[in-house]
Amino acid sequence: MTATESPGTTRLSKRRTYRRLMYLAVFGGTGIGFLLRYLDYPVVGEAVYWVGIVAFIAVWKGSDVQLMDERDWALERRASLSALQIVGATMVVVASGSRLVTWLTDYTVPTLVWGALYGYIGLFIVFGLSYLWHRSRL
Amino acid sequence: MKNELDEYRSRDGLSQGELADAVGVSRQTINAIERERYNPSLELAFKLAAQFDCAVEELFDPALDGSA
Repeated sequence: MTATESPGTTRLSKRRTYRRLMYLAVFGGTGIGFLLRYLDYPVVGEAVYWVGIVAFIAVWKGSDVQLMDERDWALERRASLSALQIVGATMVVVASGSRLVTWLTDYTVPTLVWGALYGYIGLFIVFGLSYLWHRSRL
Repeated sequence: MKNELDEYRSRDGLSQGELADAVGVSRQTINAIERERYNPSLELAFKLAAQFDCAVEELFDPALDGSA
């Protein structure tokens, strides 16, 4: 530590470094994994993906500084709520539109769209269960 | 929420980073509170009050917020 560095700045710098490392691990692992799968190395790609995930958890749980504080959690809560609202609104419109198109026209809605809609329904079921669990504890 | 955090911090000669370290949050969190963009939890509000040896209501004034 130099004369101009306080323990506070050192901790902040360590926090920043660990957070960058954490995100680098997960995004790097996912990205390189995807690339390797694309290049026909599926098993290696999957291994790299898991290395990224495990490294993310290792940095998150293993670092000696607090990586997230209450504002970070508040930001995550707000972002999650916004995402859920956007997904919810999209699901309502797209589901209705897909049903109408299927009934009224000869167009066949791609199975990918139905798959995405069922995925959204699954997400909202998990949300509902999670909500009930938290409500029972609050 | 309106607060006097900036004044108390300056009075004690602390930087945002030093205060953040003292109460266990990030500098960005202290900055967000001072800019009245983030309302701290009760726990953090009490920690900040203890840091400056004052009451929570001396540091934070919801009545001045206009939305309270």
